[in-house]
Amino acid sequence: MRSYRSSYSRRSFIKHSLTVAATVPLMSQMAFAAERSVHVLNWDTYIGPQTLEQFTKATGVEVKYDLFADNSELFARLRNGNPGYDVICPSNDFIERMIQSDMLAPIDHSKVPNFANYDPRFQDASFDPGRQFSMTYFWGTIGIGFRNSQFATPPDSWGLLMGPESKVHAGKISWMSDPVRVINHALKLNGHSLNTTDPAEIEKAIQTLLAAKGNVRTLAGDNGQDLLLSTEVDLAMEYNGDMLQVKAEDDDLNYVVPKEGAELWQDCWAIPKGGPDLAAAHEFINYVLDAQVHADIAKEVNYALPNAAAIALMPEDYRTNSIIFPADDVLKSCETPRYLGEDIAKLKSDGMTRVRAG
Amino acid sequence: MKPKAPISPLEYTRRWWMRTLVAVVLVFLYMPIFAMMLFSFNDSKRTVVWEGFSLQPYRDLLQQQTLLDALGNSLVIAFVTTVLATTIGTMLAIALWRFSFRGKAVLEALNGLPIVIPEICMGVAIMIFFNAINWPKNLPWPFSLTSIIIAHTAFCFPFVTLVVRARLAGFDRSLEEAATDLGASTWQVYRDIILPYLKPGLIAGALLAMTLSLDDFVITFFTSSPETLTFPVKIYSQVRMSVKPYINAASTILILVTVAVTVAAAWYYQRAASRNGQK
Amino acid sequence: MESWKRQPRLFSLLISPAIIWLTLFFIIPLGFMVGLSLSVQPDATHTVFTGTLESYYGILDRNPDTGDYIYIGVILKSLMIAAIVTFFCLALGYPVALAIAFAPAKWRPILLLLVILPFWTNLLIRTYALMSVFRVNGFFNNILAWVWNHSRFMLLGTYQPFDLLYTNTAVIVGLVYIHLPFMVLPLYTAVEKLDRSYLEASLDLGAGHWRTFFKVMVPLTLPAIMAGGIITFIPAFGALVTPDLLGGVNSQMIGNIIERQFKAANNWPFGAALSLILVYITFILLALQSWMASRRAKLDDIRR
Repeated sequence: MRSYRSSYSRRSFIKHSLTVAATVPLMSQMAFAAERSVHVLNWDTYIGPQTLEQFTKATGVEVKYDLFADNSELFARLRNGNPGYDVICPSNDFIERMIQSDMLAPIDHSKVPNFANYDPRFQDASFDPGRQFSMTYFWGTIGIGFRNSQFATPPDSWGLLMGPESKVHAGKISWMSDPVRVINHALKLNGHSLNTTDPAEIEKAIQTLLAAKGNVRTLAGDNGQDLLLSTEVDLAMEYNGDMLQVKAEDDDLNYVVPKEGAELWQDCWAIPKGGPDLAAAHEFINYVLDAQVHADIAKEVNYALPNAAAIALMPEDYRTNSIIFPADDVLKSCETPRYLGEDIAKLKSDGMTRVRAG
Repeated sequence: MKPKAPISPLEYTRRWWMRTLVAVVLVFLYMPIFAMMLFSFNDSKRTVVWEGFSLQPYRDLLQQQTLLDALGNSLVIAFVTTVLATTIGTMLAIALWRFSFRGKAVLEALNGLPIVIPEICMGVAIMIFFNAINWPKNLPWPFSLTSIIIAHTAFCFPFVTLVVRARLAGFDRSLEEAATDLGASTWQVYRDIILPYLKPGLIAGALLAMTLSLDDFVITFFTSSPETLTFPVKIYSQVRMSVKPYINAASTILILVTVAVTVAAAWYYQRAASRNGQK
Repeated sequence: MESWKRQPRLFSLLISPAIIWLTLFFIIPLGFMVGLSLSVQPDATHTVFTGTLESYYGILDRNPDTGDYIYIGVILKSLMIAAIVTFFCLALGYPVALAIAFAPAKWRPILLLLVILPFWTNLLIRTYALMSVFRVNGFFNNILAWVWNHSRFMLLGTYQPFDLLYTNTAVIVGLVYIHLPFMVLPLYTAVEKLDRSYLEASLDLGAGHWRTFFKVMVPLTLPAIMAGGIITFIPAFGALVTPDLLGGVNSQMIGNIIERQFKAANNWPFGAALSLILVYITFILLALQSWMASRRAKLDDIRR
């Protein structure tokens, strides 16, 4: 019996020390819970390294920062009610979808005076008239990232990724994995608008993809640029800012918007309904829109600023970089994707399932 | 030096082809882990290409307050889940071992379900459930973790039941009968005879529950909220882009910690088992 | 074993937490999922229960290009991949279990620990680590390239790296990698408990090692093989992270499709219906396993 007793007390000692060890994070968390905090849901690598710290220093509000990988994931998380986010950063077509589904709270412009700094083009938007519910954070294009040395002449058409010419670089191509993004650019390749609701045109786009999919190495979630960096692919469908980020590490990489045009997207801050702290949400958005803060973030992420006052603070090579700020003729060929209704979303998603089947 | 005994027919482990096979399998299992640990010292913002040795990722890790919070959440959830799952699972195992009752086969089958059901089904079902009953959101920490703890316990305790039952199968009931004959009450029999015998099984079950909870991604993904992110879910959102070295650093630390805990528990188990004269 | 009526209070105490938990947090959520699969989704965020079987009919959709069933095709493909994975886990896991079971007693816990340890790493990290090893520019290829270039093989031309990722094979390798420890554990327990005298007798009577293995060891450990097989097959069948990260364009499995319904397609009733099909398949497999087990038990009784 004695041996059982002593081992019993040793067991309870272990239990007690584990309990103490586990309560330490508990106590530190509870200490923080007393302060104000703002819950932000944003894309990865989409904020400056010091931004959040500086925000807390300036306002005393702590930031709980969470990430998401694509828009439909964001939507799925908020669909059944806001699990506790104050500020989110969806893309324009999802802003539209959320407005129509009554998921966003109006932004009180009087609490965000820094919005006046914005370029007039971004003070209004087709997907959010009067910018009642969203304010653009960054905008940009989607295009072809490629490795210069593998091409006699730089690529200039989606055909090299998704058309019959993709055979030339078979096995060294990557697409994105978001069905809407991929099908939209197939639509552009076929000369249609990416906002078309004509099922026949969408079907033709799906057929194009089916014909070319054998030449694709993989569908990269958001890391096409890493595949380029590691030479696994020579052609990738990618965002312009991501390509700039890897271009800094490998100068052989470059980016171009194909001649058929591409998506012109805007990622915008928005306030979902039912968030814990509306005032903190406004403070956060206003802080990020400050000219200097916004400029600092842009230096890090290399995307195009909608904030005229911030652009003025950026170095020359940023302002004249044609990857960040496309030339006018490129802009003309690009389109802003709109929310086209649940049926079209389902059509494109099921189309992707078909492309990936077999 | 003692001359080696000739290899007996059943000593498979001493044969060269067996040793080669096991070595190949172990290399296969560990090469990626060592690669991951190696890249946790990579001097680059991405892990794609090796660019030099550096401790920067570990310093970066200390800056990642949200990642550390998520790690803390994972540990707390795992701890509470382990306690709950081990308790519930052991109680069920004892009941199934000892008693016969109508519907026993049904209960056994039901208990097997959370083990085999695909995780995505369980994750979706639990999310729908918490939504439909309007489980309160925005509870203060740590109560905000309750939905995740409940979900984890639900799929962990059947594993514990399995392990403890396997241990119980070897129990010699004559010990129990002798104790009862000598005047021990039911409570004393459980406390002083059955539970100590179960200890290795309890430890194994608890370790299993802890692993499952710490590593779980799919189910937690559907039940978490910003305040309650766990480590795997947090990594997933960052790793969809590319694995940064500080994530490897965090994983390396997590592995080392769990190795230390497992080795300590295993050592303790060996001592307890050998002291009790059982294997 | 005694009837519960002899100690009703103890019995109820022991069993109630488990029953409450199972009912509340497993059965009822599954019930909600059944309800969701019978609902429609009129707009982006709401579902309405109508009892319609529309989602289930959707599973029988055909591919307009080829006339094949889309979803059934993916389900069958996932079943096949899961079967291949289970087979390889068995083929690799059994020898490892043997090696550990027949090792000297003091080595056994260490070897077991070694096999289980990788299991403690986060699944995503392990998959990414696998990728960094097998990619064109990764460890495996780099080491082989170094060996190639520093040896006589160099004369045959420069090293062509193995193109290992983003294929169905990569998905299978990844799934084997993740599920191997789960297979080794039950096999090891069963082999360790085997009465060695059966094996020795068989060898003494002249049967070679292979025959002993297949005719004596395997039948005696069959329950463990089936248990390990089930724990490997079903998670492999429903896998979603591994095919997503390691697979190419064609490597989607049913888990990925279900995930897509809850995200890009925003079609939750259909996602619930597909998930339930998985549950039904799981039930069928379990029923099959327990039917086979009881048949064997009956045959053993007859033989005796």
